[in-house]
Amino acid sequence: MTPSTGYLLYLLFAMGGAGLYLLLPQPGKSRALPGVALSVLALAGLLSVLAVKVIAPSDTSAYFCLFSAIAIFGASRVITHRKPVYSALYFVLVVISVAALLVLQRAEFLAVALIIVYAGAIIVTYLFVIMLAQQSHETVYDTRAREPFFAVLVGFVLMAAITGKAVEPATTSEAKIVTAQFAQQNLAGAIEGLPEGNTADVAAALLTKYIVVLEIAGVLLLVSMVGAVALSRKKIPVEGHGLPTRPLGQIGKEVEPF
Amino acid sequence: MTEFLTSQFGVSIILAGVVFGILQGAVAYCIYFERKIAAWIQDRCGPNRVGPAGLLQPLADGGKMILKEDVIPGHVDKNLFVLAPAIMFIVAFVGFAAIPWGGQLELGGKLVSIQVASPDIGLLYILGVASMGIYGVVLGGWSSNNKYSLFGAIRATAQMLSYEIPMGLCILVIVLTVGAIRLEDIVLPQTAYWSDVIPKWNVFLHPLAFIVLFVTMLAEANRTPFDLAEAEQELVGGFHTEYSALKFGMFFLAEYASMITSSALLAVLFLGGWHLPWIPWAQPEATGIAAVIVKMLVMGGKIAGSLFVMMWLRWTLPRFRFDQLMRLAWGGLIPFTLGLFVLTVGLLYFDKHQSPLWTLGGNAVVLVLTLAVAGLSRRDVTGRPASLPSLEGRSLTHGRLAGDVS
Repeated sequence: MTPSTGYLLYLLFAMGGAGLYLLLPQPGKSRALPGVALSVLALAGLLSVLAVKVIAPSDTSAYFCLFSAIAIFGASRVITHRKPVYSALYFVLVVISVAALLVLQRAEFLAVALIIVYAGAIIVTYLFVIMLAQQSHETVYDTRAREPFFAVLVGFVLMAAITGKAVEPATTSEAKIVTAQFAQQNLAGAIEGLPEGNTADVAAALLTKYIVVLEIAGVLLLVSMVGAVALSRKKIPVEGHGLPTRPLGQIGKEVEPF
Repeated sequence: MTEFLTSQFGVSIILAGVVFGILQGAVAYCIYFERKIAAWIQDRCGPNRVGPAGLLQPLADGGKMILKEDVIPGHVDKNLFVLAPAIMFIVAFVGFAAIPWGGQLELGGKLVSIQVASPDIGLLYILGVASMGIYGVVLGGWSSNNKYSLFGAIRATAQMLSYEIPMGLCILVIVLTVGAIRLEDIVLPQTAYWSDVIPKWNVFLHPLAFIVLFVTMLAEANRTPFDLAEAEQELVGGFHTEYSALKFGMFFLAEYASMITSSALLAVLFLGGWHLPWIPWAQPEATGIAAVIVKMLVMGGKIAGSLFVMMWLRWTLPRFRFDQLMRLAWGGLIPFTLGLFVLTVGLLYFDKHQSPLWTLGGNAVVLVLTLAVAGLSRRDVTGRPASLPSLEGRSLTHGRLAGDVS
């Protein structure tokens, strides 16, 4: 990658940031048109620069661009839409298109795990909470973004830095990817009797090289589960405990704290 | 052209069309048979006006669904209101892509598999797609802007999230036993025999997991006794109260389509898929066109049997109350399936996971242990407030009492 490509990328990120800033919900008159124009230009420019300069062209380049565009569009709608339910749904769209990108990278297990865990369970719980909290009214805090300028600035500077760094030495990073793939193959091949395939590779990596990380994650989840159970237990006085007693039928009807 | 048609890709495309067509018809006739079975159980005639024995009733119903006025009430969120049935319908039919319908077919000297797609992670694909079905219910209920619809959607969400856990654990038991996630690889070991007589179907190894999986599938498909999302007496129609005409029809069709997916998955995981013992056409070695047709019929027969039991249960069992439903999942099925899971892991460690003596014995042990724990804890089954006075005089933990009252 030549330095001029790098500056072009930074310029595109600046454009995208400005467009997103205009799109973020704010009081006053709508600035959607220039925002959309800037963002679309920036996205198209970014994808074409990536497709031409950085990524080696392959059969799946078109799909990569398509799903990336959908993912970025969805992600920007998550933060620009005024209705929280729609934001959550655009989040689902982002998850699905990222899963598609993972499938393009032949990481099917990760793709499906992403869909099952995030789209199938976590975002459903978000949606659940949002649905209970409000129903088709626009509230003040939903129609204005908090600190839009600084949020956009920080986000896009970070993204530009990461992208610039990631695509800078194209040859060495390619070499690293190839090495990582070899390492993974060796990992799976080292265990006898393991069936071939994507899941087996992930399992081999998780249960040999990253076993400590896996255990720590498990302990963390256990701790959070215990915490959730402890928080959600409601204390109800029972006779003989020195606490005021009430007839069982009236539990929940009284408002006074106990 | 012939080369394309005999390649796996060509076969997949043709099969996708054929399977989609057959399923549309099957779903329509599911509704007919549901009504017929209901009639038999209740000593009625059922639909018998349109065509011989009422066989054209689904066509008449379909025509009615299409021709009725499609009302979109003024108070709904229009985008999501239209999106919800579409999501439901798409999700219900996309899952079929990974189901192995008929083993392998020999075409022009090459073997192609009778399966639209055979991803490495077939089982997870079906689970992932099925877990997206929840959005149809949630969005339908929320966008209707109607308290009853919202209640239905909330119940459905909580229920589907809860029952996904024992379902996943049951499937894990089979994955551990077989050692594969690709659905074809799960079917193939089941085509062998124990002492040349009994087929190695997984149901003979893990009958309890089979039953629990069937129960959770009823819950996932929102079927009685788990159809609280559309409990007529309490919630009018539940999440689809505001829907009419073809949109309602899509919800209806999607419910039956997801029942068929569940049944197909059950057949593949536990009943040997397209395999039938002693019939030469339904063996993995047979790859002719006749064999494929026989295998598809066998698969269809297994699915039909499972569907019949689902319909039979609908007109036999009353509906659960919501707290009973949750208690069954979290207090009953999840610990029980966790026990089965631990058992399978233990047997796998000692390399006994394929021996029916050990797995059946282990199943019995887990069942007895669960019953013993349930009996010793003397937990009230129904949780009705009326049963609470009997608890007086016993030292109670706060949590249990809170659970009983809520």
